[in-house]
Amino acid sequence: MRVTERLVFENASRNTGRARTAAEEARQALARGTRVEHPGDDPAKAGLILAHRMSADRLTAISGATSAAADEIGAADSALDGVSTALSRARELTVQLSNATYSASERQDGAKEVDGLLAQVVSSLNARVGNRYIFGGTKDDAPPFQTDGSYTGDHADRKVEIAPGVTQQANVRADVALKGYDEASQTYDSQKDVLATLQRLGAALRANDVTGVQGTLDGLQAGITQVANARAQAGVSMSTFDSATSAAQIASDRDRVNAGKMSDVDIADASIQLQATQTALEASYAATAQSFRLSILSYLK
Amino acid sequence: MADLLSILSGAATSLAAQRAVLATAGHNINNANTPGYSRQIASLETITPAEQVNGAFIGRGATLGTVTQARDRFLEAQIPRAMGDAAFSTAQSDALQAFHGLDVTDAGGLSSAVSGFFTSLRALAQNAGDPGLRASFLGAAQALARTFNSTASGIESARSGLDAQASGLAGQITTEAQAVAQLNVQIRQARGSGAEPNDLLDLRQKHLDKLAELAGATTVPTSEGDVNVTLPGGVALVAGGRAGSLSTTANGSGHLDIQIRLPDGSGPTILSSSALGGSLGGTISARDGALKTAGERVDQLAFDLARAVNSAHEAGYGLDGSTGLALFTPDDPTPNDVTDDVVAGAASQMSVVITDPAQLAMAGGAPVPPATTPAPGDASNASLLIATESATLPSGKDVQSAVSDIVSQFGTSTANAKAYADQDGAIEDHLTSLRDSYSGVSIDEEMITMQQAQRAYEAIAKVIQTADGMLETLLNLR
Repeated sequence: MRVTERLVFENASRNTGRARTAAEEARQALARGTRVEHPGDDPAKAGLILAHRMSADRLTAISGATSAAADEIGAADSALDGVSTALSRARELTVQLSNATYSASERQDGAKEVDGLLAQVVSSLNARVGNRYIFGGTKDDAPPFQTDGSYTGDHADRKVEIAPGVTQQANVRADVALKGYDEASQTYDSQKDVLATLQRLGAALRANDVTGVQGTLDGLQAGITQVANARAQAGVSMSTFDSATSAAQIASDRDRVNAGKMSDVDIADASIQLQATQTALEASYAATAQSFRLSILSYLK
Repeated sequence: MADLLSILSGAATSLAAQRAVLATAGHNINNANTPGYSRQIASLETITPAEQVNGAFIGRGATLGTVTQARDRFLEAQIPRAMGDAAFSTAQSDALQAFHGLDVTDAGGLSSAVSGFFTSLRALAQNAGDPGLRASFLGAAQALARTFNSTASGIESARSGLDAQASGLAGQITTEAQAVAQLNVQIRQARGSGAEPNDLLDLRQKHLDKLAELAGATTVPTSEGDVNVTLPGGVALVAGGRAGSLSTTANGSGHLDIQIRLPDGSGPTILSSSALGGSLGGTISARDGALKTAGERVDQLAFDLARAVNSAHEAGYGLDGSTGLALFTPDDPTPNDVTDDVVAGAASQMSVVITDPAQLAMAGGAPVPPATTPAPGDASNASLLIATESATLPSGKDVQSAVSDIVSQFGTSTANAKAYADQDGAIEDHLTSLRDSYSGVSIDEEMITMQQAQRAYEAIAKVIQTADGMLETLLNLR
């Protein structure tokens, strides 16, 4: 090959330019910490990185929702625990005051305690999480249970997504557990209405009606069982939501790790690459300078 | 017998010839770095002997024969195409790499806006009556619309920037074409005097190279010594001493078309993309190729997502009892009829219709009379809205896959353009290196040539000195 001045200088410019570009790209990748920034850097990975990130975001949101649902069911369970305690105490009073040895005055005192228990149950059933009344179904902006024992919430289920496209009931149906609401007939079963039973107990005690007091025993026992069943169901739901939270978080973390693996620079590799390109750049400079020094002009006198 | 005066005369001619050799070497050195310059070679010729002495011819020295250029026509014929291809793919690659609206690291990009929208929706579904969460979701919806707006406007800005670049390139091409046409005339006139106008030929070649780079133009030499220039596809740009001109004209899509007025004055005619090469072709290709496709796909995604969300939203009820309201514009009034869909511009026009968070239709159940508003915690319609994230859009993909695909496809176009630019650039570099090697100036060679001419000049001077001495000897005879 015939070597000309333009060839020497053009090649020098081109080769040092390439070496410098490679070194600069390696430096930038290391400084930036990512190897895919523009989609053109690696089209397939660019799409996958976004897919993983969006999936991670979705799973994080699901995890947040299921975690909140689990917290809410925990709050419901705690409230039902209070109801259960109150009902147990009411049953004790019923058994105790059904005995003929107790006086009317003592039954009056018992009636007052039952009134307090009723108020305590109503208060528990008007539990809130944040600004929501958790036992009111979807009508959650006002206390669902009134002091007279009536229920003003609705009969709707709340559902929370536990995995993409999969939902799970997230509320405890106090209208079913404590008021005996029957979905099929859309009516209340008075025999299962725990609040009405408490009211009947209070009234019987005030009237010193021993038979009436005894008549509430089955209803109270049934109520305790209903609440226990509702709590058992809440426990299952809480477990489901806890599992869902854990699964979504793990899946989200896995997506973020995968996205990171594809987008983030391996520091060791990037450092080696930077060193290699800098060495190549220095070699290119040295070779270029050497070729510039070689000229017949240095020898002609 | 060769007389001494003839020797002096021959020596004088030879001195002039050596001076021409030196001058040519000097000219080469002076132009060692001139782009497009081809080294010149001064060829000396022996002056035909005019005198025969005792049957032998006595030479009369040397004279300058020709000054030719060192040019490899085979190489030069390949270079315009290589330059055009390299310029095309480089312009396309540079344009696509300069667009950062779909970057993976862009925190304000489409993917994060879509994720933000559905994350806020999921939070709202937990507590549909909460005013703070409603306001937050409305904000996320507005952010999503703004992100579609900014992505679309970013793509359009990039395309408009390429319009401006194409307009400038069209002007440069016209200037270069006029220069070639004028040089055709000047070269024809110079050749009329019998000599080869090497420097004019170099200058014309330089302009032809520029035309190849700018427009992918190829040259067709004529028997008269002109070169005609054609654009890819054979459209004439230069015909002898006449040049065509390129200009731009606005088209219906808000961008510029390239039009040509032909060398014969006819036109202007709009050039198809197949007639555009070089930097101009690459610029137009980036504008109407990957960027346009990305814009169309973003529009399609905006339209499909808005339609899916609106369809679910319109079926639900707001806290205030409102129903049938779209969340986003543009809305598709007939979701099942694709024939009336106006997809173009959907992303740039996307906005949130609802301004009152209470109108966000999270409830699926109608208000039960006498109530006029739904239960505040009813989030059954929110579930339907959440389902749009996984729903298959008319494009055949869900929203997440659609975003990934848009980015991936744009990335593939960019990576392909870059690969072509690297490959075409390497071919161009190789060919121009070969041309530089053959036609370029070597200082070493020219210095040696100068030394050669200097030595010969000194020797001829010695001949003159000797002949002069001999003449003096004769003149001093008594």
